[in-house]
Amino acid sequence: MAASSALRATDGGRSQAVQWLIWLVTAVLMLAPALPILLQVFVDRPLYDSGWQYGFGNITALLTSPAFGRALLTTLVFAALTVVIAQAIGIFAAIVLGRTDLPGRSLIGGVLMWPLYLSHLIFAVGWLIAYGPSGLVTQFATQIAGGAPWTLYSVLGMAVVAGVSQAPLAYLYCLYGAVKSVDPALESAARTVGAGPFAVLRRVTLPLMLPSIVTSAALNLIIAVETLSIPLFLGRPAKIETISTQLYMLGVASSTPQYGLIASSSLLLIVLVAATLMLQRLILRHSHRYETVKGKGVRTAPLRLGPWRWPLALAMWAFLALGVIVPVICIVLRAFTSFLSPLIAPWHVLTLDNFRQLFGNATLVRSIGNTFFVSIAAAVIATLLAVMIALVVQRSNFRLKGSLEALAYSPRVIPGMITGIGVFYAAIVLPPMGWLRDSLWILVIAYVMAALPLGLGVIQPAVAQISADLDKAARSSGADWLAAMRRVMLPLLRAAMAGSFVLLFVSYLKSYVIAIFLMAPGLEVMGVSMLTLWTNGEVGVTAAFASLQILGIAVFLTAARILMGVKLYD
Amino acid sequence: MTDLVLTGLRKTYGDFVALDSTDLTVEQGEFLTLLGPSGCGKSTTLAAIAGLDVPSGGRITFQGRDLYNAETGLCLPPEARNFGVVFQSYALWPHMTVEKNVSMPLELRRVPAAERRARVAETLELVGLAAFARRYPGELSGGQQQRVALARAIVFKPPLLLLDEPLSNLDAQLRLQARSWLKDIQRSLGLTTIYVTHDQEEALAMSDRIVVMKQGRIVQMGRPEDIYGTPLHPFSAQFVGSANLLEAELLSVGDDGLARVRLPNGPEILGHAPLPLTGAGPVSLVLRPERIGLAPVAGPGPVNEIIVQAGAVSYLGEGYEQVLDLAGQSLRRKGERAMTEGPGRIQVAAADLLVFRKD
Ligand SMILES: Nc1ncnc2c1ncn2[C@@H]1O[C@H](COP(=O)(O)OP(=O)(O)OP(=O)(O)O)[C@@H](O)[C@H]1O
Ligand SMILES: [Mg+2]
Repeated sequence: MAASSALRATDGGRSQAVQWLIWLVTAVLMLAPALPILLQVFVDRPLYDSGWQYGFGNITALLTSPAFGRALLTTLVFAALTVVIAQAIGIFAAIVLGRTDLPGRSLIGGVLMWPLYLSHLIFAVGWLIAYGPSGLVTQFATQIAGGAPWTLYSVLGMAVVAGVSQAPLAYLYCLYGAVKSVDPALESAARTVGAGPFAVLRRVTLPLMLPSIVTSAALNLIIAVETLSIPLFLGRPAKIETISTQLYMLGVASSTPQYGLIASSSLLLIVLVAATLMLQRLILRHSHRYETVKGKGVRTAPLRLGPWRWPLALAMWAFLALGVIVPVICIVLRAFTSFLSPLIAPWHVLTLDNFRQLFGNATLVRSIGNTFFVSIAAAVIATLLAVMIALVVQRSNFRLKGSLEALAYSPRVIPGMITGIGVFYAAIVLPPMGWLRDSLWILVIAYVMAALPLGLGVIQPAVAQISADLDKAARSSGADWLAAMRRVMLPLLRAAMAGSFVLLFVSYLKSYVIAIFLMAPGLEVMGVSMLTLWTNGEVGVTAAFASLQILGIAVFLTAARILMGVKLYD
Repeated sequence: MTDLVLTGLRKTYGDFVALDSTDLTVEQGEFLTLLGPSGCGKSTTLAAIAGLDVPSGGRITFQGRDLYNAETGLCLPPEARNFGVVFQSYALWPHMTVEKNVSMPLELRRVPAAERRARVAETLELVGLAAFARRYPGELSGGQQQRVALARAIVFKPPLLLLDEPLSNLDAQLRLQARSWLKDIQRSLGLTTIYVTHDQEEALAMSDRIVVMKQGRIVQMGRPEDIYGTPLHPFSAQFVGSANLLEAELLSVGDDGLARVRLPNGPEILGHAPLPLTGAGPVSLVLRPERIGLAPVAGPGPVNEIIVQAGAVSYLGEGYEQVLDLAGQSLRRKGERAMTEGPGRIQVAAADLLVFRKD
């Protein structure tokens, strides 16, 4: 019996070799950056110095620093406010756009998604150009009200910007995870027992949305804790520090980086993120109670808003105009003008100087090429790796598939900036990796690692959709595991792979935090260049650069939809 | 000659026993059917033979060679077994044409292109799909898809063909045609075949031998005539030919197998015990609905005349089915004529009333 229960089906010699290789590559990719950080926490000097002394000095230094305590508190308050704002907007939009007869729902939903395609960095720049202390709209309001009516340089200001920019995530999760998949029969059932439409929303729809709300809230909390540009641009001028800005100051802006402190605050961030994910799991332990069978019947007619139709639509458009459209327009306006002021019509100050400066700067031009190279390479590699991992995890008898999945998802607990730090350490500590430090491939590696879970999130459900009989049929036709995967599964996963590539490419294109710690002359990418430009006060060039990136992403997404049939977030 | 031998084959999922220590042999060229209700372990057995699933214990040999042996820890992967498998879902590869689906097993065996083309054409001809070679599976009807699945499974001339409910997705008319068509192909190729179904008619019509299964165990094995004519277990009688099952008390058994039983609150009647039966105690009586007569029958052995209460009638086309009440137990009767509702008499030969120990 003991022998038989240990017996497993084998996938054939060469298949097993490939499976081990995939495991090994994943393990090295995931652990090489994580372990040096852990090591650095307990070593008293930078890892590249000799004479290591082990101890808890770094941790005690961190925990006893009053600046750190304040930053931690600020981070938590900021993250909590962000989540509240993002969830409130997202849930409300999901219900109104997914369930009611609001006029122009699909257009409103489309514009609401814009922030998802833009980085926090661009979004923060847009808001600052519109609503910052010397922003266009702020100046307008000041003229009318006779004093600055608001300040963006506050924790609340930061949370509003981050909240609006994270709302699409909550909206998407609630819309597709709940509103659209709740069996209409459940709602009809409630109607038949005498519940009015709004009672149905409150008593049936909203509770069924709970898992989606919790999941997206956890994601948004993590993103808020990690985000750098919003606290850096909006918080630092008012001397508001978060953990991420502290990390940035310690590691990038400082001439003598304090690696011990960086590593221990990284560890703390990782713990914070992991705790959030665990809390989410704990809350959703009984989530099957909320599972509903997808409705097959005819969808119930959308909830009729009656006299509320037009006022509500108007309110939503006003919100989108102020929160999303105005900031984007301000970026583009600023890119083509020498300055923006309510006193002068923009066409009097039209100029191409910003773009001339941008294209006259070899470093900035190079950063565009670098960004495209790194984004394409990393999106291709991460997609292929995600496919291979998914196939081993879901479709093989590989002994270590459990640990493979755990490894592949481990970057979920590691904030992007820290992935960068880890890869940087790995390149320092592991001798054969030294050459990487001056190569764009170091960015590719960090990007692949950071976004592997994102790619798996697209690939894994697609694999699950393909009947296991199809590869079983290949096996009994004479194919070993490898041949079955290559001839049957891979061709069937083409669409999912295209989807994963597009999603990853866009997220790499707009990314900046991962690359920050890996910057070296020659390795510039657009996001980091923009960050530097803005912090150096080059508002016009930043706006020009941001406009270019917005245009690039819009063109790419349109092309992907037309050429590859890939629609993101659908 | 014996082809396939299962010895003490077991499969458990945690504490659940899906297949309990099963022994089975399959002769060369034989058409063997695994028959049983849903969840009885038919697919489990088939998957173990195909190598798609690893059993929990026992041994499988094919033509004297071990495919699986719990003792030595050997388990050949499916691709090393060289068996043709037809899946209930057909499992056609949707991104390949019919031709490509069928030629894949040959490509995997590195058959030269010219020979491959010839064999694919020949096999498609055999299943009557030569005209559909360029179509994709999504462009075929259910019956055509089923033929492609069969073509794919036999194109490489496997020594053993495994079919898991291949006809269950077809409508009744088509199923009837496909049944004889499939049997013809099997016979003309002389293929050793294991066929899984829960349809007793299919099993009776096609098989050389039927294995009746229940809850992971083999209940009876034999030729279709034996399974139907002399069931050795109340379950096989009930499942094959949906016989009536009655509770009774055994009074005495003669050497000739003639058993005297008493129905609870009812009359004493005579039945026949196919298996040795001793002493007294509760027994199950098996009676086929079509063996309940109205006129006195002359024949070898005693005949029971029993008073029943005739109930509702349904018209079946070729005859009638009627519900009868026998001292509180209900019976179904089939015949050309129906009884008038109310009290009446039925005639049952003792040889048709099978007596089994209650288990
Ligand atoms: N992966 C599994 N885990 C647990 N139990 C399983 C698993 N696969 C099958 N079983 C159980 O094993 C038993 C036998 O399953 P099997 O698929 O062999 O049934 P079957 O006779 O083919 O039925 P059907 O006619 O419905 O296809 C069933 O009770 C089933 O619930
Ligand atoms: Mg089955």
